[in-house]
Amino acid sequence: MSEPSFHKITPRAIRVWQIGNFIGNLFFFGIPAAYAAVFGWSGFHFWILSISVTFIFIAWMLSIFLTPYLTWKNWRYAINEKEIELKHGVLIKTHTLIPLSRVQHVDTRQGPLLRWYNLSTVTISTAATTHEIPGLDTQLADRVRREISTYARLAEDDV
Amino acid sequence: MSEFERQHPIAAVSRAFGLIRGNFITILIFLFVGAQSDNFPFLWWIGGGFGLLLVLGIANWWRFLYKIEDGTLHIKSGIFVRKDLYLTKDRIQVIDITAGILQRMFGLVRLDIQTAGSSSRQAAIDAITRDKAAEVNRMLREVKSANDASESSGDADQEAISLQPETIKKIKLPAKELLIAASTSGSFGIALSIIATVFSQIEPLISESELFEYLFGLLPTQTDTMMIITVIAVFVVFAWLLSFFSTLFTYGNFQIDVKEKEIVVSRGIFEKKRITVPFNRIQAIHVTEGIIRQPLGYASVHLESAGYGDDKGTGSIVLYPLIRIQHLKTLLNDVVPDYDKEFSGSKPPSRSARRYIFRSAFLVTIITALLYWYLALNIWIWVLPIVSLFWGWKKYKDAAFGWDIDMLLMRNRRLSRSTAFIKKKRVQDAAVIQSPFQRMRDLATIQLFVASGDRGKSFQVRDLELEDARLLLQHLQKNGVPVEDETEPEVSGNYALPGWA
Repeated sequence: MSEPSFHKITPRAIRVWQIGNFIGNLFFFGIPAAYAAVFGWSGFHFWILSISVTFIFIAWMLSIFLTPYLTWKNWRYAINEKEIELKHGVLIKTHTLIPLSRVQHVDTRQGPLLRWYNLSTVTISTAATTHEIPGLDTQLADRVRREISTYARLAEDDV
Repeated sequence: MSEFERQHPIAAVSRAFGLIRGNFITILIFLFVGAQSDNFPFLWWIGGGFGLLLVLGIANWWRFLYKIEDGTLHIKSGIFVRKDLYLTKDRIQVIDITAGILQRMFGLVRLDIQTAGSSSRQAAIDAITRDKAAEVNRMLREVKSANDASESSGDADQEAISLQPETIKKIKLPAKELLIAASTSGSFGIALSIIATVFSQIEPLISESELFEYLFGLLPTQTDTMMIITVIAVFVVFAWLLSFFSTLFTYGNFQIDVKEKEIVVSRGIFEKKRITVPFNRIQAIHVTEGIIRQPLGYASVHLESAGYGDDKGTGSIVLYPLIRIQHLKTLLNDVVPDYDKEFSGSKPPSRSARRYIFRSAFLVTIITALLYWYLALNIWIWVLPIVSLFWGWKKYKDAAFGWDIDMLLMRNRRLSRSTAFIKKKRVQDAAVIQSPFQRMRDLATIQLFVASGDRGKSFQVRDLELEDARLLLQHLQKNGVPVEDETEPEVSGNYALPGWA
């Protein structure tokens, strides 16, 4: 069997994740804010607050400028007539194999942000688990979805 | 039965009990917390709560209607939000009949109609007379078997129907095994929490009476430590008794009927339960050797099924509550012959031993150290980290995986040692996972998912040689779809698994 050819996901996904993290992780500043509202920011509390805010700020910056890029760099997927293979994970690397005969359904979905960038997420469900290929170009995602469902139909099998 | 019908009114009561059972933990916590405060009108709350549940139950009963027409079961339910459920004949996998204590007092049964989806548990008729159950069963099966006789169908009521396939084998649980199963059952913790709750209610009564002082007068020494130990001992004994009897009642009258296409597991002394599992619904078999049971040479056998969900939504079904390891092969051979196999296998390399030990002991040691220094505890507390070191070693020794042309074996240990048999074509997905530390040492964790109930069930073996883990993925690749003339990939396995004599 030839080594399946792995594809990267669309680079535009990085931008979507950056924006998503920019907005989403703002939430974490709420924690020190709530702390300040309860305890005030004088003396001892000031130090706790400034340290935690610094940490959150660093993490926030990393989540905007570093992790989306690393995530993208580590994402690979391959689809052939027998199985789907997914490789992802920055620190903890996961290599998943899904036999196509086990695929229950595939769908593509799109939030407002993804739609703006003309991207979609492909969701692959088996009877036990659900996997996602995030941030594929919408046309590509549709093709991937069609491809999977065609292959999956060929491999008829019970649960 | 083409008109809508209501259930037997007893359904209202059984529904109320069902709600209590479903929210048991919440109620326990509520009572536990409530009992701490002095002005908690305990009985009042209980009474009011039960009354409310009863009203809910009655409303539910009133709004629940069912009918069967053209082989379709149609259920309308819900008090405010109306739900219309249609179950067509060919989607029905299993029809199960349970008779709880309440139902049996009135000659009723509970009908459970199972499909392979998550909505399956809603298709249950709580209380229905035996005759009607048989009729429903007949109507749904009749059309089904007429339309597609090839599909294996669930059967329910043993005496009523002549369509029954012949029982090939009957296996019962001997009384001795039942007693051992009951006395070593692991439902200790639950029992303990129930007793703690009850005790927290009774405690004010006891401590005010002279009984308490009288009892402690009997004890030789009356230090605080002594008292605590006594209380704990009493708790444990009661918890043990509780779990003993609950296991006894759950698995009493245990019997497996092996039929041509399905297995029927029936059990229960007060609440009788019959579970029908078609062979082609079995996703995996796993053998659990409990922490107390393993030294005694006993294990329990479970099976995972896709269609059947129990109360918790997992598809685990007890196939046999307790068996001597030596007899395990015979049992598997009798009930699920496909799964009676020997494998060649492989274990994590010796360099992963320290990872197992570290993982097991790390947290325990830190917590122990903190407790020891800050609370100035007895030196004996250090027994805990030592035990955890040993336990890590045990985990390492027990981890293994094996393979065969069409099946995999995965063995690991948390508290009890679990050995899973999974057919390759039942694997939903497989993953090789590597953390940064594992990458440094060329190790990897393998994780498999099989379908089980609503969700899946995962089996994993940690810190295997990366090569072995890759090999496993290759194995599965070749078995993603049935392949005719593939040769077996090279095997590095040199262990015989499962290793039961």
